[in-house]
Amino acid sequence: MVKFTADELRRIMDYKHNIRNMSVIAHVDHGKSTLTDSLVAAAGIIAQEVAGDVRMTDTRADEAERGITIKSTGISLYYEMSDASLKSFTGARDGNEYLINLIDSPGHVDFSSEVTAALRITDGALVVVDCIEGVCVQTETVLRQALGERIRPVLTVNKMDRCFLELQVDGEEAYQTFQRVIENANVIMATYEDPLLGDVQVYPEKGTVAFSAGLHGWAFTLTNFAKMYASKFGVDESKMMERLWGENFFDPATRKWTGKNTGSPTCKRGFVQFCYEPIKQIIATCMNDQKDKLWPMLQKLGVQMKNDEKELMGKPLMKRVMQTWLPASTALLEMMIFHLPSPHTAQRYRVENLYEGPLDDQYATAIRNCDPNGPLMLYVSKMIPASDKGRFFAFGRVFAGKVSTGMKVRIMGPNFVPGEKKDLYVKSVQRTVIWMGKRQETVEDVPCGNTVAMVGLDQFITKNATLTNEKEVDAHPIRAMKFSVSPVVRVAVQCKVASDLPKLVEGLKRLAKSDPMVVCTMEESGEHIVAGAGELHLEICLKDLQDDFMGGAEIIKSDPVVSFRETVLERSVRTVMSKSPNKHNRLYMEARPMEEGLAEAIDDGRIGPRDDPKIRSKILAEEFGWDKDLAKKIWAFGPETTGPNMVVDMCKGVQYLNEIKDSVVAGFQWASKEGPLAEENMRGICFEVCDVVLHSDAIHRGGGQVIPTARRVIYASQITAKPRLLEPVYMVEIQAPEGALGGIYSVLNQKRGHVFEEMQRPGTPLYNIKAYLPVVESFGFSSQLRAATSGQAFPQCVFDHWEMMSSDPLEAGTQASVLVADIRKRKGLKEAMTPLSEFEDKL
Amino acid sequence: MEINFESRYEIDRTAEFIISKSFTRIALQFPDELLKDSTKVVSALKNKTRSLNTETSEDDRQVRFFVMADTTYGSCCIDEVGALHIDSECVVHYGQTCLSPTSVLPAFFVFGKASINVSSCVKHLLDYASKSEKPILILYGLEYSHVIPCIREELGLSKTESQSKFSVASVLCSFISPSKDPRESMEHPGLSGENDSNDNLSSSRTYRLGGLTWDLRQGNKIEDYLLFWIGSDTSAFANVVLTFNGCDIVRYDAEEDSLVTEFTQQRRILKRRYYLVEKAKDANIIGILVGTLGVAGYLHMIHHMQALISAAGKKSYILAMGRPNPAKLANFPECDVFIYISCAQTALLDSKEFMAPVITPFEANLAFSRGSEWTGAYLMHFQDVINSSNSEAHSGSEEPRFSFFQGGYVEEDHNTNDQAKNGEEAQERQWRWYKLQRKHCN
Repeated sequence: MVKFTADELRRIMDYKHNIRNMSVIAHVDHGKSTLTDSLVAAAGIIAQEVAGDVRMTDTRADEAERGITIKSTGISLYYEMSDASLKSFTGARDGNEYLINLIDSPGHVDFSSEVTAALRITDGALVVVDCIEGVCVQTETVLRQALGERIRPVLTVNKMDRCFLELQVDGEEAYQTFQRVIENANVIMATYEDPLLGDVQVYPEKGTVAFSAGLHGWAFTLTNFAKMYASKFGVDESKMMERLWGENFFDPATRKWTGKNTGSPTCKRGFVQFCYEPIKQIIATCMNDQKDKLWPMLQKLGVQMKNDEKELMGKPLMKRVMQTWLPASTALLEMMIFHLPSPHTAQRYRVENLYEGPLDDQYATAIRNCDPNGPLMLYVSKMIPASDKGRFFAFGRVFAGKVSTGMKVRIMGPNFVPGEKKDLYVKSVQRTVIWMGKRQETVEDVPCGNTVAMVGLDQFITKNATLTNEKEVDAHPIRAMKFSVSPVVRVAVQCKVASDLPKLVEGLKRLAKSDPMVVCTMEESGEHIVAGAGELHLEICLKDLQDDFMGGAEIIKSDPVVSFRETVLERSVRTVMSKSPNKHNRLYMEARPMEEGLAEAIDDGRIGPRDDPKIRSKILAEEFGWDKDLAKKIWAFGPETTGPNMVVDMCKGVQYLNEIKDSVVAGFQWASKEGPLAEENMRGICFEVCDVVLHSDAIHRGGGQVIPTARRVIYASQITAKPRLLEPVYMVEIQAPEGALGGIYSVLNQKRGHVFEEMQRPGTPLYNIKAYLPVVESFGFSSQLRAATSGQAFPQCVFDHWEMMSSDPLEAGTQASVLVADIRKRKGLKEAMTPLSEFEDKL
Repeated sequence: MEINFESRYEIDRTAEFIISKSFTRIALQFPDELLKDSTKVVSALKNKTRSLNTETSEDDRQVRFFVMADTTYGSCCIDEVGALHIDSECVVHYGQTCLSPTSVLPAFFVFGKASINVSSCVKHLLDYASKSEKPILILYGLEYSHVIPCIREELGLSKTESQSKFSVASVLCSFISPSKDPRESMEHPGLSGENDSNDNLSSSRTYRLGGLTWDLRQGNKIEDYLLFWIGSDTSAFANVVLTFNGCDIVRYDAEEDSLVTEFTQQRRILKRRYYLVEKAKDANIIGILVGTLGVAGYLHMIHHMQALISAAGKKSYILAMGRPNPAKLANFPECDVFIYISCAQTALLDSKEFMAPVITPFEANLAFSRGSEWTGAYLMHFQDVINSSNSEAHSGSEEPRFSFFQGGYVEEDHNTNDQAKNGEEAQERQWRWYKLQRKHCN
């Protein structure tokens, strides 16, 4: 551990070539936090008193209790490279001292928004993969996210100790397992071809893959061994590294390298012969307490043990020996320093992803060059609760310039539009703070390339923001983060005592701040809604809300509520007509379902209101079979002008049509937000305006007449087009041994889920099951699953798609109609749906 | 139990009142449902006043009656503008009323007499009372005021028995005379009627709501009482539920002869109103709907709202509109929210069908004055609203407001409108107001 003062730390922050900002990402339980701790224990810039097996990065009580990481935590490491090891380093550097800003992120899918926030402010990622379980769904998700942000990955195959102690696999088998893990990861990375980022795949022989045992605190890359053997074989290191991986075999009898196994019993793969076997031997010797054998071996390896350590027995001895021989920090930190980019390097290509404005203005240039003398560009990626309740640190990364205590900054919020005053504040930073483990130290200023926490801005930032100097009025903000999960599970909260309402409002505000993903809104009925990515996420949020943000005031939470969507199955059976209140105007409309994939294309933003009409009509014509002219007649998307529903003008030669367009669109926005079934949003419906008859006098066809009528005719057309409900569906991934499969299937069946993929992990007794599960049914799913499989199965749920419920909500007694009645009751609406006759008029 | 015509319309009392004040031009205001009886009422009144006039042997001045129907604004309020068109000196109002104070004309109220089974009502009341330790406060719809003395009697209440478990509200008055100073009339809404309630105000707190008044014993809060409402589920009752949302309330339905204790729908209204307040906070352009030209202090209220809105850095338009409906309001799609200034009983519009929310002045106060918070208290009357906003301490926090609809901070910019622009807007507003007034008069 490195004891540092704030000043010393601040000094290294200026060497932008010697900084590495990186996050640790992985699937849940693959050992991120444990591995991080072993790094921190060796190189962490923290106070000495925190030590031992405690997970240093899990700072919350509930994190320690549950054994999972919930919030991402930043920590700074200091590492001094020796000249010898830097010999082959070709990049720019300032001296041998390195500062590594490391962010440990949660692995549970419910908290992947934390990962997104961590990735934004880092340039590299250490992907941790369990050597037995291999690449899992969350590994894949976060890896994709990292690559999308142009984060360069390095891989570590973790939990090596399991190979040696638990499973006792032999060398060749272990090699095959590792090889497969690395290959799987490379398959994902290979799909991201990015000329600027270059090849992002990882290769053990290039030193971008490490092998680690986080729990025991040791790790190695092939570099370590190559160095050891290079002199012995008289070849250079890089040559040696290549021999230590892949199809290279060595026969000690003949002392010859071959390209394939010669079949002789002494011929072994290079990796097995020179890396795996020696480790296995040391571990076995330690575990069997054969100390007489052990000391000479260690001496040969050049490992010096302290006298008191020599007294240790068994596992502690093994741990100690391995830590001394192959310390995890050296291997991993050297790998990061060698293979992950410095801010200076990374911002060169990341600027395109980051900056919203023109890429040739001074701000883009300053980011590109990581220029400490340029204008300030700082992205606040999350808010961290401070020790005094209710206040927050704004935590982010300086991309250009310097941020200093007392400095006046422009805060550009997520809704800021350049040139306008919306969501824009000018405030001064009270203090700039750097994190040293659990302690915060105030510093004068923080230059670009580093992460920083700021005091005094929390009242103006909800979740994230871009900060610039006060005078930089032309600066555009840094692009908002894109999350891989969406808040689909919602609960209504209210306070037990009515007079606590102000507390609840304040609490919700703070909650919204403290978590990048949680959404606090309000229902039409006046209920406050908290929405999160999953059950666990919500549970944590509500606990925080009550205990931390409301001072323990009691709240009542409803059962989880799932939002549905309303859609149609077919085209309307007839053209429906509605008359305006004054009976002088008539609108004719039909509803039809959108082509498959179109709603998703709108969701993804491939098709939207701000597209160039030509490009839009090209996509619509080519991919969805639309008529080219028709594609130009889309009036609007809705709800909220961007949603997955449309109004299209199909009229021919109608007078005054343009005058009522705005009114019809207003009625459509309104109607598509609250459908006629249960006032849920509509999805995937295309409304066609077939004909309109209007009064010749403009005053009689004003908005007052047309807007309510448009809404009614839209409802009528939806009801006549076989309306259906869409329910959200999770994709669940479960990993379990064969014996647990029966239990998994029966629980899934009870919950209306269905399995669409079952695969045995090669080389393991584990099965990988992928299934679809309706979100409504997912509450209590993980606990039931655990009960049914005696704790062997652990599900990960991610929202996947909307699925149509086959039953007819208009028919009494069906599942959909019961659901509709429930929703209406919850929302305080009349229990019976408004009949068609209310919306449709007769000529 | 059919109450005869004469007594239902209180012909005698009305005629005596007219003669005693020697009014000669009287406007009779009927709600739609009573309009069918208007001719009978007029002829009965004519006969009665003639006979009374001759009795007192004064010069036989002709008392002229005018029937007013289909009032522009809510039928519970006195249509003063309408009455002034015919130069009437007094308005006699029939049916459901909010007893809102008037600004120009004196008004006489005939509440009507709804039939009720007194003994059954008292039985329900006693049954209910036996279930709880709390004292009970009896409130009622004005149409049942005629049986209140009987109920008092049945309960064995006399004026001296203040230790009893029951308290009964009394009718404020059945006659309102206007006061020139709007503020004054607001604080003392014409206590000139026959008001026999005890006046020991020094030791208790007096409540007034919807024409009822009652005192609570010293040291008691309204929350300590159970409220017992006699009457149907009218807007007057909705007002009570909203205003005293912290109390347990039961309603005795005289027509059904049953006790109603389930009010989730009404409680929901409160939450819904809260939602509307939050929604209003996000609004930029506000339409002030003038829904009354009679209720005292309405002008004062309009000015107050204008000041409030401009202080919050938002724009406002004034629209005079009787009985708003979705089609009328949709003609102003620019407005994000409407404030409906009207008497307490017509003010609550459930605005599900409306494009933009319609809120009351009290809610506007909450929404547009910085730092004020929804505490669950709810005020309906202008005087209360203005008083409450005057005592409001504006907190000086510079934290921007958090919007639940946009999920983030929203800045309320106080300096968006420079002075010149303000003037221009005011002019435009005035012009619009004038135009609408003209339209309304036509």
